[in-house]
Amino acid sequence: MSDGVRFDFMHFMPYPHLPENHKDYHSMWVDFPNKFYDPKKGAELYKRYLAELILAEKVGFDAVVVNEHHNTAYSMMAAPNLIAAAIIPQMKKAKICVWGTPPNLEYPNRLAEEYAMLDVMSEGRLEVAFPLGTGMEYWANPINPASARARYRESIDIILQAWTQDGPTTYYGDFYTYRYLNPWPRPYQKPHPPCYIVGTGSPETVELAARLGFGYSAVFVSKQRAFELNQQLRRSSAEYGHPVRPEQLPLQVITYVAETKEKAEEEAIPHLRFFFEDALRTTPTFLAPPGYLSVAELKKRAALADKLHGGFSFDNVNESFFVAVGTADQVVAQLEEWGGRMGTSHYNLLAAIGDMPHWKVVKNLSLIGQDVIPRVRAGAAAERRVAAE
Amino acid sequence: MAAVAFPDQFKRETHTINGLKTTVLSAGKGEPLVFMHGAGIWHGINFAVPWTQKFRVIIPLHPGFGEADDDPAMSEIHDYVMHYLDLFDALGLDKFHLVGFSLGGLLAANFAVEHGHRIHRLVLVGPAGLRGKERPKGDFFLLPPEEIPGMLVSNFDVIKQFLPENPKDLDFMGERYREGGTLARLLWEHPYDTKLPRYLHRLTMPTLLVWGEDDKLLSVQNADIWRQYLPKAELQTFKGAGHLVLDEKREAVDAVQRFLS
Repeated sequence: MSDGVRFDFMHFMPYPHLPENHKDYHSMWVDFPNKFYDPKKGAELYKRYLAELILAEKVGFDAVVVNEHHNTAYSMMAAPNLIAAAIIPQMKKAKICVWGTPPNLEYPNRLAEEYAMLDVMSEGRLEVAFPLGTGMEYWANPINPASARARYRESIDIILQAWTQDGPTTYYGDFYTYRYLNPWPRPYQKPHPPCYIVGTGSPETVELAARLGFGYSAVFVSKQRAFELNQQLRRSSAEYGHPVRPEQLPLQVITYVAETKEKAEEEAIPHLRFFFEDALRTTPTFLAPPGYLSVAELKKRAALADKLHGGFSFDNVNESFFVAVGTADQVVAQLEEWGGRMGTSHYNLLAAIGDMPHWKVVKNLSLIGQDVIPRVRAGAAAERRVAAE
Repeated sequence: MAAVAFPDQFKRETHTINGLKTTVLSAGKGEPLVFMHGAGIWHGINFAVPWTQKFRVIIPLHPGFGEADDDPAMSEIHDYVMHYLDLFDALGLDKFHLVGFSLGGLLAANFAVEHGHRIHRLVLVGPAGLRGKERPKGDFFLLPPEEIPGMLVSNFDVIKQFLPENPKDLDFMGERYREGGTLARLLWEHPYDTKLPRYLHRLTMPTLLVWGEDDKLLSVQNADIWRQYLPKAELQTFKGAGHLVLDEKREAVDAVQRFLS
């Protein structure tokens, strides 16, 4: 990673064994009946998914990324810190990124403690992100969506205070009172693990990342929007006096590599279809519980949702999002182009796509490790030599 | 935002209460009758026109609804009680009849529990907010927005004129979303007021409960829960009427008028 290039492998750990009639259900989130979850199949999946995360380090990834969702077949990580704890002893040097638990869904002191535990257990390899949480999480958890943003800011404030000030301290907030904020253990990294905000591009969260000097990663926004947010964050962070460092801008790319372009598409498209059409299927009401969005944002998103209506097409997905499906050559070129435009060489690859079987994930990770990562690194090194001369 | 068309005889006044701009509609002469609306005012106030023959009808818009300003700090029903103490002072209102519908019924009951000496007679129309043991419940938040209008009435024609032609009209959606946010601030964690039953015995003024027998949002069985705590209250239910019983049944409007006269 000393060359500034960084590759993360992000896993969603979906539960793909859905009933045949699953398309009759309006959402794969919130109210999709949990009777369809078979713990025996779940046990096999956990074993498999953990092995995939561990494989990523072996083939050359610098970090693995896990995150949190509730009430959904989209993800089996209701508690991503448990996954992090399970993989830490099985990995040697890769960073463990919990991106992350929405701070609103835990007591802030407890989240500060859990993250500190992971940071200590991994001897300083933890990175964390603070998501507000999707709208769906607010239907699944007993937290008011109408005050979610205010609570979220306060929670982050408490966690940072817990990590950066010698305890015991006090905190008298609008949502939480701490008479003795004094969490044990404290983080291994000083002042604390690297922090990011992940979001879907609300102006409020980009501003927050800039103010706190955190990294920012936009998820499920269009390429165009991601470029805009990138610029906005750079401007805003500079104004707050901490210019963004390239490693703070992970670029999320859905990636699949195979021997030929045709083969890559043939192998990846069914799982992309599952990911966009099924795993992400939800309702407008679940996406936007009352008060969760500003009215302006709600209207903007409602207008956009209408435009996107019409179901999955690979061309649409390819055009709208960062999707690199092809030969190693093509994927390298694609990553370098986007990385160049975003001013980053930190790539966060979604390389286990939807209901992809184990062999494809292994093949994909292996080819990325063998033919993509070394070449992007070599390219960056060559560029630096040119710049130095 | 698009202002709702209210009947011509209603005068529209703007009042600023603690920095918050709100609209007060009023019409008619006689004893003052304050109407506290529900979690939306987009379906108008046509039902209130007959009352203006006998009463000075005063309909304030709640903060966070219709054209009234938002205040995210108003996060509990009691904040609205305090808002109305200030507004009624500004209007010079001392004693009045109080009619509350749905969310406004919950609000009216809370106001009357604390300030009963100011209320001549109280009418609660399909009031929200009480939870019975093993009783039918309604949770407004469970309804997808596009289904809400249909859940409000027995006869859809009654509210059709207030709905946009395009069911996905962005301005209408946005306004309802904003009001849903206001309601969430008040009721998301606790859709039921668990304290109110302790104090309902303080409602010693004559009290009428009105309910539509076809109420799909808060079923008429909820009336029994209120009557457990208000044994002296009179109950009148109306066939062929949903939650918006006043909008749907002139008989219900007349019943309120008779009770207050």
